[in-house]
Amino acid sequence: MKQIAANPVYKFLLFPVGQIILFALGASVILSLVTVLLAYLFKSNFIDFDLVERIMLILPQVIINGLTIGFVYSTIALGYTMVYGVLEFINFSHSEIFMVGGIVGIQLMAYFEHTGALATMNEYLVIALAIVLALIVSGSLAVIVERTAYKPLRGAPKLVPLISAIGMSFFLQDLVRLILSLTTGEFNVILPKFGTYDEFWKLAVPGMEDPLRIQIKSALIVGIAILMLVILNFLVNGTKVGKAIRAVAQDRPSASLMGINVNQIISITFLIGGALGGAAGVLFALKATKLDPFSGFFPGLKAFTSAVLGGIGNLTGALLGGLVLGLLESFAASYLGIFTNGAFGAEYKDIFAFAILIVVLIFRPSGLLGQTVGQKA
Amino acid sequence: MGTLLELTNVHSYYGHIHALKGVSLHVNEGEIVTLIGSNGAGKSTTLRTISGMIHPKEGKVELAGENISNLDAHRIVTKGVGHVPEGRGIFPKLTVQENLDMGAYTVNDQKTIKDRMELVYQTFPRLKERVAQYGGTLSGGEQQMLAIGRGLMLNPRILMLDEPSMGLAPVLVDLIFDTIKKLNEQGTTILLVEQNALMALSIANRGYVLQTGSIVLTDDAAKLKKNEMVQKTYLGIE
Amino acid sequence: MNTFFSDLYKKANTGFWPVVIAFAFLVVGTISVYLNPRSLFAFLTLLTTPVILYFMKIDTKVKVFIGLLLLIVILPVLGIRNIFYLEVIFQMAVFSALALGLNIVIGMAGLLDLGYVAFYAVGAYAWAIFGSKQMSLLHSIPGAAPANAEFFLDARWFWLFIFLGVGLAALMGILLGLPVLRVKGDYLAIVTLGFGEVIRVLALNLDKPLNLTNGPQGITPIQRPPLPGVVQALGNALTPLVGHVPTEAEIYNVFFYFLALIIIGIAIVVATRLEDSRIGRAWTAIREDETAAIAMGIPLVKMKLAAFAAGASFAGAMGAVYAANRTFVSPETFSFQVSIGVLTMVILGGLGSIPGVIFGASAVTLLNIQILQNFSLYLSDLRQSDAVIPIINFPWKNLSNQLDPAKYQKLVFGLILILMMIFRPSGLIPAARRQRELGDEKEAE
Repeated sequence: MKQIAANPVYKFLLFPVGQIILFALGASVILSLVTVLLAYLFKSNFIDFDLVERIMLILPQVIINGLTIGFVYSTIALGYTMVYGVLEFINFSHSEIFMVGGIVGIQLMAYFEHTGALATMNEYLVIALAIVLALIVSGSLAVIVERTAYKPLRGAPKLVPLISAIGMSFFLQDLVRLILSLTTGEFNVILPKFGTYDEFWKLAVPGMEDPLRIQIKSALIVGIAILMLVILNFLVNGTKVGKAIRAVAQDRPSASLMGINVNQIISITFLIGGALGGAAGVLFALKATKLDPFSGFFPGLKAFTSAVLGGIGNLTGALLGGLVLGLLESFAASYLGIFTNGAFGAEYKDIFAFAILIVVLIFRPSGLLGQTVGQKA
Repeated sequence: MGTLLELTNVHSYYGHIHALKGVSLHVNEGEIVTLIGSNGAGKSTTLRTISGMIHPKEGKVELAGENISNLDAHRIVTKGVGHVPEGRGIFPKLTVQENLDMGAYTVNDQKTIKDRMELVYQTFPRLKERVAQYGGTLSGGEQQMLAIGRGLMLNPRILMLDEPSMGLAPVLVDLIFDTIKKLNEQGTTILLVEQNALMALSIANRGYVLQTGSIVLTDDAAKLKKNEMVQKTYLGIE
Repeated sequence: MNTFFSDLYKKANTGFWPVVIAFAFLVVGTISVYLNPRSLFAFLTLLTTPVILYFMKIDTKVKVFIGLLLLIVILPVLGIRNIFYLEVIFQMAVFSALALGLNIVIGMAGLLDLGYVAFYAVGAYAWAIFGSKQMSLLHSIPGAAPANAEFFLDARWFWLFIFLGVGLAALMGILLGLPVLRVKGDYLAIVTLGFGEVIRVLALNLDKPLNLTNGPQGITPIQRPPLPGVVQALGNALTPLVGHVPTEAEIYNVFFYFLALIIIGIAIVVATRLEDSRIGRAWTAIREDETAAIAMGIPLVKMKLAAFAAGASFAGAMGAVYAANRTFVSPETFSFQVSIGVLTMVILGGLGSIPGVIFGASAVTLLNIQILQNFSLYLSDLRQSDAVIPIINFPWKNLSNQLDPAKYQKLVFGLILILMMIFRPSGLIPAARRQRELGDEKEAE
């Protein structure tokens, strides 16, 4: 057993991937079961149609949508949770770092479209380039933000850096708007059309009339997100820098006595978190197809909710939290309208996350996978 | 034997509290030197000033003739100053082995790290039994061993120990002090801060007595042990 | 140079000089606004008077006299001559009241509430729903209102709704606080932020199944309270000073201005009293060290709830006043940006400092609706002209018309927050106590 656990292939590839699949499947199955159960319970209230059948009909699509957005949330949530782990503070501007990544990615594609290269380039290469650029830009931006707005405040009372972070979030929103407005005269950015990733794979499922339709885009988003999660897992658990990050998170003075340059490690944490956020921004942009300087706000908040849901400061927790939240949101958006006969619908999905956040904080303030944070009251 | 560490007229502050008021001391290569004094006398502050966790407002700290007063803590570590802080400072969520790895953070050669780790395990066989256990789950004595072991991973020119006997059972205290003595015999210079003045003076070559941020007395350890004031105040002998 | 100014200030701040200076600003400001109602500079000169009153050594009686003269006589009269200024001052008053309320929550009790606007919305929507025809339209689709709909309540109910606003907002504060006040401080920020969004989304979407809020279109018309004859008569008496017979709209504006002043007055009294009370000391203890506060036997959750409720109640009252003043409410008025705006005011002025937050609220409001606007107008004038930017030789004409400073409030708020936190965390007019706590090191040493 010990032998297997120490094997790097197992430790850094099989185990994390297995964990991700387990979380994704587990959360999907549990939520589906609950929904179907509810459908059976309330079946008699609906005379015009068979509630269970209607729910089963769209279930696969609901799960796929939920997982797609869930992986995006997870990737963003990791940025929150890493910074929280190291500095114990909510990096409010992370939602803008994420937004900047998305916009930079779209702008690169728009540039390729402008030069005419987009039509001839391999679509996956385009996406890869956009992600790489977003990784670099968002990662550097996160470091700059940390150096200018947070580092001078180290050691100040907790509210002080938090307020600075809120200020940074607002500042960045309008700064991006200003830059976009001055350079393009327009602050909405729209994903250019290219390639075939918008199309669907059709899988015939025995026992079902219609084939299961999986958008290539969804699979792509999930695949890239998993790849990044695996890389992150390796960085944090398998490298010296990763160990140093964990050491700094646990005991900053001791870490400095080990010869760890704490400021540098904090910057690296922001770099990694920001880069992940930027990549998530591109993934989100592929899904949303349109971004503006303010579109980081809601995904950012939901990702933070995911981080808390999973247990803030806990990387595995952020992954699980994001998946659960994405699925919950997708289920709520699709089924709330059906269950309430149209009285409440998808328009409430944005605040659904907060309801969950409040419930979690009341009943399990340390999150699903719990860690360190609970308060003595 | 040359002077390895020298403090000249060092003044340090915690916020607005004047914690060290002109401390001067030196440690020669190969010595065990101990700082004794009551709570709040400035013993830990002295060590923290040397290791760069706080910077002196006045005066200077020199290591083998080089002024290190204004270097950051992580830079001073690379100069060969090991500091095992009060309360041990174990990383609770890193395993024993990872904790030791951290001790050798500034060392890049894998072979060296491996050899030193072997040495640490030889010194503290208990740690070897706990390799994969989280630091936070160890007992107090084991944590102290880990803290000292982690300090040794650096193979420091001078190892500073802050209250290594605190909160330990007498048997363990003996073990820790034996180990310190052994390390010194193998060539490590030691600067030891201890509440347990008797034990500290028993293994030390020389000692300094700190009172409210100033050094009031210094002598050979054996002579200090016989000093009336030391006996009365720190050794509890009337 | 610096000593020159401080010497000058010291000299000016002795004997009868402060009174002379204050009066000079008051008189010059008044006359210049009177003669030149459109000049921003004249208006700013007049508004400098209260700042001088605050900082300089003047006998308290004289201070009160000048202050009241300005607030009760000069501003209303000038306000009727240029109705825009009265609007600016009304907004300053509204935001001052909000900032005073938020100051109780964050400044005194140290709880970061990022959804403060929700309580404002609750007060506003309470009167909006009951003081309009909305209750008669519950079953109609937004935009398709039947013409014969009736007002649900008589306009005089407004007076009750100010108090209802207080009660409802306080109740909401407690309901939100009960579950979330147990959580760590920085979680509280996110939860309150979420709560603010929940209220906004509800306002946006509760046009079905029952049309309670009329959705994104908002509710209008909302009734204003009937004015007693005295007010009308007083308004008419001002005719010679104003230069024309004031219209009903103008008299209403003056009325709302005074109403806001009264609420601020109450807010100041309540806040000051609270600060020196047992509750206030308990808040200080909680803010400084929660664990120690518990150890001293302070009922943590109860005290935090009290802070939440007290802070919320000001916003509730102001909400009702705002709804009547505008005769229109819509979800957009209650965005997250407003919460952060109020936070910016509190931070700029000084956490926990009552004069500070009033100053902060006035300054930020002025910046938002006057200075940035004027700057925008100036830029657009430049764009129309043939002028070029010197040195880089860039014609103003080519400047993107997206560069409209009035639209970049978030940038301004953000910059203020960051810069204040880095350079002066205790604010421009710090509370005596806070200055030590937040450790403006440079000043302390």
